[in-house]
Amino acid sequence: MSFWAQAMEIARIDLRVERRLGDVMRIVLPFAVVALLVFPLSLSAELATISRIGPAVFWALGILFGMQVALRQAANDRPERRDLYALLGVDPSARFVGRSISGSVLMLGFFLALLLAMIVLYTPNLPEGWPAPVSAALLLTGVGLTELGTLAGEITAGLRNRTSLASLIVAPLALPLVIGGSQTLESLARGAGILPWLLLLVATDLGLAVAGVALARPLEEASR
Amino acid sequence: MMRVRMLLGTAAVAVAFGMWLAFTSPTDDLQGEFSRILHIHAPVMWVAFLAFGVTALASIMWLVRKTARWDRLGEASAESGVLFTAIGLFTGMVWGQAVWGRAWDWGDARLASTAVMFFVYVGYLALRRATPDPEMKARRSAILGVVAVVQVPLVYFSVYLFRTLHQTPSIRPDGAAMPQEMLVALLVNFAAITYLFVALLVTRLQVAKAEADATTDSRLAGDAVKPPRLSEVKDV
Amino acid sequence: MRLHPVGEAILLDDTGVSLGGQAILRGMGLEVSAGEVVGIAGPNGSGKTTLLRLLATLVSPDEGTGHVLGAALGSPEVFRVRPRIGLISHTPAVIGELTLRENVLHATRLAGHDPNRVDKAMRVVGLDEAAARRADAGSFGMLRRTEIARLLITEPSLLLLDEAFSGLDGDAQELIDALIARTLQREGAAVLVSHDTEHLGLRAGRVLALRSGSLVALA
Repeated sequence: MSFWAQAMEIARIDLRVERRLGDVMRIVLPFAVVALLVFPLSLSAELATISRIGPAVFWALGILFGMQVALRQAANDRPERRDLYALLGVDPSARFVGRSISGSVLMLGFFLALLLAMIVLYTPNLPEGWPAPVSAALLLTGVGLTELGTLAGEITAGLRNRTSLASLIVAPLALPLVIGGSQTLESLARGAGILPWLLLLVATDLGLAVAGVALARPLEEASR
Repeated sequence: MMRVRMLLGTAAVAVAFGMWLAFTSPTDDLQGEFSRILHIHAPVMWVAFLAFGVTALASIMWLVRKTARWDRLGEASAESGVLFTAIGLFTGMVWGQAVWGRAWDWGDARLASTAVMFFVYVGYLALRRATPDPEMKARRSAILGVVAVVQVPLVYFSVYLFRTLHQTPSIRPDGAAMPQEMLVALLVNFAAITYLFVALLVTRLQVAKAEADATTDSRLAGDAVKPPRLSEVKDV
Repeated sequence: MRLHPVGEAILLDDTGVSLGGQAILRGMGLEVSAGEVVGIAGPNGSGKTTLLRLLATLVSPDEGTGHVLGAALGSPEVFRVRPRIGLISHTPAVIGELTLRENVLHATRLAGHDPNRVDKAMRVVGLDEAAARRADAGSFGMLRRTEIARLLITEPSLLLLDEAFSGLDGDAQELIDALIARTLQREGAAVLVSHDTEHLGLRAGRVLALRSGSLVALA
């Protein structure tokens, strides 16, 4: 099977498993929406303040809960499955790409649903023409977060406290994604250019993709 | 099957009649046409509370009796409760947008507590889905079903406990704060939507029983494993 | 450097493996030729699983040299031969959320084999009627049969079995015997690891004992 065929097969199976488990849309997403609810309740702030902080809260919670989406594969990855893939001749880079594809699809769905919830709950003053650039920013952020999560999962493979350690690794490294995503909307609201922020996201995603593909095999061998 | 069709059919008729009354009854002087939302919002929220109460009772009965039908009742009722709560939240937000000028107001304790209740039962359904073993699923759900029902009185009494935008009940022991025709329409809708809940519950229980019968093979699980065909190994 | 003759599936020369700073295998010497079945016996904790993972090229040697199917262990050559190695380890390698059939199909597709062989393989191992069952709802025996179905399709040249017979009924054990026979017919080799020397004696041409991290002939 070719590199891309392996990647698509892995992505396909990963999405099928998620459809059966329902981790992201039935557990992580509702959890994130509850967090959206809890935030203003604990602030007891005026409506204007809540509207103002809505987008920022969305990005913060989106990244934090998005990490759970990005790391769920790592949590489900068993040593036997890794060995099986190795012996089936699966290219570790193809596995990285496949997981990034499936994770990005789930991440986009997660972000869009969370965004909708934030708009309903916080009634933010969104600038005109926001859907297209914000959707682009969400897609790019989702791709980057997935790549980061997949990489962190490989780095921590085989370790007992893998999930919490991987979260610790991902959180600070996700900073460019948080900045790129949140500043896209902020710049749009100010009437400033959004291109630099989108380029930051693209560059981050590309960098992570190159790192993931290049390091996949050494990381897999190092995890044994 | 016939019984289910009749139940659903008559429930649809009852709800349609209730909606007709809702749209032909007088409106509130201040809220205008938007006051008609009350005829949906209040009954569905009442049914949501009822549904979660049924889930709690079914959970207790399962813990005592350990029979599958109580577990199925708990699940079916929770599903209906989540559905009706979602409708209640949606209609509440539509009404809020029209009357308060905003769909969601953080000053409304009932709105926030209802949303929290919604997610508690979303968690209940997620727990059920995540547990493959039927016995373990029933046990865990039953325990959560009993604990979670504490949300219901919290939501109901939130309008009294907290200073909030949400209006207090329109129907009180000392009388109703609305014209007679409006009250009749409201009561008919309470009855119709409660009947709809019962019809949905019965339907869902039938489906759940059929699903359980289908997955519970009359054969032994081990009968599905056949002796290997060793002579055919070379043909693979 | 010692040359390895053509036809040798495995050649270990004074090989040692350490894991977590602890020496597990030391001074290991082993030659397995095509068409051979070698049994390796040893008590729990003697390093049998580590040895098997070394032979599967999943672990690299820290001392000495080793070649499996012509590829030097610890070198990039192993990626070329891995698809020709079949491993049955302690824990069945299945994805729980997929059905038994989906597991075999997924592996078949990844390995680049014909997906049309899957249903036949499931029939041969006796799982055709249970094929739609989810793996996490399957018994240990069913999962082992699923792995056997997969190996019938991928047709490895080197079969490595780690306590593969334990916990299996007579039918499933016969299936593994058939898998070994098929591998040998195609000029492959098999290494069986177990703590049960009697079991090994019935199936292996020779049985070695794993003692103090090395292999010795069983008296």
